[in-house]
Amino acid sequence: MLHEKLPWIILLLPLVAAVAITLFTQRDGRFSAQLSIGAVALAFIASVLLFAISLPQLADTARLSYLRVNWLEATGLKITLAWRVDRLSLLMLLIVTGVGGLIHLYSYGYMAEDRSRSRYFAGLSFFTFSMLGIVLADNFVVMFMFWELVGLSSYLLIGHWYAKESAADACKKAFLTNRLGDFGFLLGILLIWGITNHLDFDAVRGWLKLHPSGIGALASLAGFLIFCGAMGKSAQFPLHVWLPDAMEGPTPVSALIHAATMVAAGVYMLCRVFFLFEIPQAWPEWLSFLNGWTALDLVALSGGITALLAALIAVQQDDIKRILAYSTLSQLGYMVMAVGLAGPGAAMYHLTTHAFFKALLFLGAGSVIYALHHEQDIWRMGGLKQKMPATWWTFLLATLALCGVPPFSGFFSKDEILALAAQRHVGYFVLATLVAALTTFYMSRLFFVAFLGKPRSESAGHAHESPKVMTVPLMLLAIPSVFAGFFGINTFLERHFHPGEAISHLSIAEEMFAPFAHAPIAALLGLAAVAFGFSAAYALYANAEKDPLPEKLGLLSRAMRNRFYFDEIYSGLIRITHELLAQLADWFDRWIVAGLMVRGLHGTTELVGRGLRLVQTGNLQTYAFIVAAGVALVLYIFLR
Amino acid sequence: MLTWIICLPLLAALLLTLVPRQNTSVIRTIAIGITAADMLLALGLFFAFDAAPALDGYKFVQRVPWIPSLGISYYVGVDGINLGLVVMGAIVAFAAACVSSEIKSHQKEFHILLLVMTGGILGAFASLDLFFFYCFHEFALVPTFIMIGLWGSGEKKNYATFQITIYLTIGALLALAGLILLYLQRPVGERTFDIVRMTRYFAENPIRAADQNLIFALLLFGFGILVSLFPFHTWAPLGYGVAPTATAMLHAGVLKKFGLYGLIRIALPMLPEGAKAWVPVLAWLCLGNILYCGWVAMRQKDLNLLIGNSSVAHVGFAFLGIASLDLIGVTGAVLVMVAHGFLAALSFGLSGYLFHATGTRDMTRLGGLLQQLPFIGTALVMALLAGCGVPGFANFVGELLVMFGAWKGSYSPHPHFYVAAVAWGGLVVAALYALRAIRHLLHGPTTEIAGEAQDATVWRRVPFVLLLASLICLGVFPRLLTDKIKASAEATLKFDSGKRPSPGLSVTAINPARK
Repeated sequence: MLHEKLPWIILLLPLVAAVAITLFTQRDGRFSAQLSIGAVALAFIASVLLFAISLPQLADTARLSYLRVNWLEATGLKITLAWRVDRLSLLMLLIVTGVGGLIHLYSYGYMAEDRSRSRYFAGLSFFTFSMLGIVLADNFVVMFMFWELVGLSSYLLIGHWYAKESAADACKKAFLTNRLGDFGFLLGILLIWGITNHLDFDAVRGWLKLHPSGIGALASLAGFLIFCGAMGKSAQFPLHVWLPDAMEGPTPVSALIHAATMVAAGVYMLCRVFFLFEIPQAWPEWLSFLNGWTALDLVALSGGITALLAALIAVQQDDIKRILAYSTLSQLGYMVMAVGLAGPGAAMYHLTTHAFFKALLFLGAGSVIYALHHEQDIWRMGGLKQKMPATWWTFLLATLALCGVPPFSGFFSKDEILALAAQRHVGYFVLATLVAALTTFYMSRLFFVAFLGKPRSESAGHAHESPKVMTVPLMLLAIPSVFAGFFGINTFLERHFHPGEAISHLSIAEEMFAPFAHAPIAALLGLAAVAFGFSAAYALYANAEKDPLPEKLGLLSRAMRNRFYFDEIYSGLIRITHELLAQLADWFDRWIVAGLMVRGLHGTTELVGRGLRLVQTGNLQTYAFIVAAGVALVLYIFLR
Repeated sequence: MLTWIICLPLLAALLLTLVPRQNTSVIRTIAIGITAADMLLALGLFFAFDAAPALDGYKFVQRVPWIPSLGISYYVGVDGINLGLVVMGAIVAFAAACVSSEIKSHQKEFHILLLVMTGGILGAFASLDLFFFYCFHEFALVPTFIMIGLWGSGEKKNYATFQITIYLTIGALLALAGLILLYLQRPVGERTFDIVRMTRYFAENPIRAADQNLIFALLLFGFGILVSLFPFHTWAPLGYGVAPTATAMLHAGVLKKFGLYGLIRIALPMLPEGAKAWVPVLAWLCLGNILYCGWVAMRQKDLNLLIGNSSVAHVGFAFLGIASLDLIGVTGAVLVMVAHGFLAALSFGLSGYLFHATGTRDMTRLGGLLQQLPFIGTALVMALLAGCGVPGFANFVGELLVMFGAWKGSYSPHPHFYVAAVAWGGLVVAALYALRAIRHLLHGPTTEIAGEAQDATVWRRVPFVLLLASLICLGVFPRLLTDKIKASAEATLKFDSGKRPSPGLSVTAINPARK
């Protein structure tokens, strides 16, 4: 049957493209690009097909079985490559191949003059393959493998311009920070396997259903370790430092990896294994100081801190991509917080809408950067509204969606998170509202400064609209950014996370006002936050020539500009831990192990040798004496 | 077939003695041609393995009695455990012959030694007779010393040669003492060097625990020194640093695995009690290999020293797999051995190429090589990434299996501590030094020294492509090998896994009833 093989086809198409480009079409950048775009387009079509075929057969969470392959077998361990097709993965498939496909297309224009276009597109295809693997994985180890591959491909893409020192440093940092998270992830997987003896998601889930407190005192630790993986990929506090630096990569890469897909993988994974967080929570004795916290509490805390911290930092950034990067961090914090507040549906909803409008924002920023010959400082832009109308329009729509202005898609998904927070914990609700206000503030600042007013630099004055191959993806992305609130994504997801519950179908008009009917206070306060953020930004930045905030905030602004000194603190930490350990080990190796012990051995051997040389004089009398003495000794011993 | 694989290089070495020394192209052709033929034979062996009939669990068996009074016979055969090593050895030998064009003086002698070394290694892995097992190893070991001493480079050449000779000789002697003691355990008249029969005999008539402890210790440290077990590892980075490329590839890649193979083939099945007594110590020493040598690698400025230290770190995984006393762990250990063989050969080969292209191995003086040398640079990136456990390469699968095996292993009351530390070493520390090397050597602006380097021509790419392809092939389709290892490991190794204590991180952990 074709549809049983569809997940394989979707997964392998980009891989085939990546391999073919690497091996055969390195020289022909244009053809490589077409190959890569073709592969992802086909994968998108196959995903739509799969969606259409599977949907009627999907009774809530039930999943269909697809061709399975035993990948690895050892005594007592079996790892199967099997793909999971359910609502969650179907939605992600469409996002990854759909949004990803548009970004591929956009890259065709953006990277047209790059010398290593083939390498770029091979990386893009390889990344798509790895990401699809995470989406389809039905097994902890399989997910971990693709998890690592995503880290690898993002390393290659961030470091595309590796000859630049900053890009080379950034890709290294991204990979290493991800590795820290993966360390926890792997231990979590081992912990779960060690106790349940299973690795397939369904098998672990089934086991936990039979033995709800089977993991016992390790339950919270297991959840937390798994979360560590998400912390790295989704760049959550305290592993958030790599994402802003990753903006050194080409802008479409930022859109693909650092807005729509890779960073969403952490949230997706948390939703995928949410059952791990639903078992009775307990900490082992040596972690008893954490008693009273569940693993989910830690998840929510990490997400909340990230959301607030990143929003504060974004307020004082001047680089257009960095503002968007911190905004991404902040929105990811929202999603992770929603998972932590036991609302995976809300998190996935926001993930979906965010993928549309944040990819659009990045691509819009890319269009601006392209037009201004790689100028990224918003204070050297301005007046782009007239020069780049298509970019301007689409950017405006995406900004409105991100800020959460009704009826744009971001409003609905953000409102679900606000309502959830209001229901669970008032502290998180206040935090979320504050972040919403900050979001509107920094996005309005960006918009006022970069697009309105007068051109502040020569290149801004000579800007032209980007070619069609770049503006068409912008327009196509604008459609879901505006309307995704009406697609019924939330009810689609509700049926995954709460199977069997009656879900009312709303008309579009009812959908529009549902937030106000459902949790009016949350919705109204959210809108108030937007209004507040916008008016503050309007007062400060409409027609501003330079940023007035540093004078007003003083020290706080400096801290924000310096990203609250996290990079400095971390490099200090690395210096006093690993650098020191490495130095110590090297010193010990050089002087103690190789020096004292080996040279010592060398020395004693030589000493013995010298001693023996004294005996070996070549003098017959000495030899005779020694022989006689020996004989005497032997006689003495035996005759005694 | 197996005998041909072993003898072909040795016969070729004899043939080379007849070739006049000026005819370097003839010498090169013979060496490359013979190793290529050997490699093809070994690959043929690999693909014929599943269908071949088995005798006592071994296939392609050939046996010729030699000294019946002592129980010595020429006895070769392969099972899932040494099959991969033989094939890997043959492939690496071909790659090493290919890169030996860098040798500019006394090519004839060098190639003879190289072929002798190849034959010795393959013989050691294929032998099922203890006597030949050991002698073949010595046959391969002695050329190593000569090659490093005569064709080595660098200021510390003499010291390094001296050190590697002393260390490996002591290691080999300790192992020899252990093997002789083992041989003497059987009553006079029944004594044999036949590994298969010895294993069966000692399984039925276990040796006294005290003797087992002694012999295991001798084998552990003897073989351990040969494999650069911490803290007896300092010979390795230094020795490989000065060794000619082909020697480093063959020794680090293939010959070094002899010690690990000896532990798996001889020590584990014949001395189960000794193993139980010693593995807690071994587990600690593994951490020395993986973490400590990883940290040492972080500090290296010389590429060869970095690769040497990281290679020492990698064998730590194989040791941990052995120490886990678990079939998953041992399967992983064998896979790590094969994977590391390819990887070490690849890394040293590339490093040798860079040295000849740029004249230095000092990473601080190089930079931006990826632009200048797209092929060599890409291959080096892949090698370094494979070294830090990126999926898609065989090393990842091996290390994963080792960690899974060690997690449930019964070698210590706190297996999770070791695995956590090892995972830190494999995931984080390894990534730190690998990415640093990429950053310094390959990324960034091109330095003056690097600017003049030439990329490899098509023919010189062959060995690197071959090694990379082997790594990726096993990384993507690990069952090509693991299925064979699994069957043989289950047949030869018996760990009483039923009685092991349930794992748990803390005393308060509730252990549910398990099926």
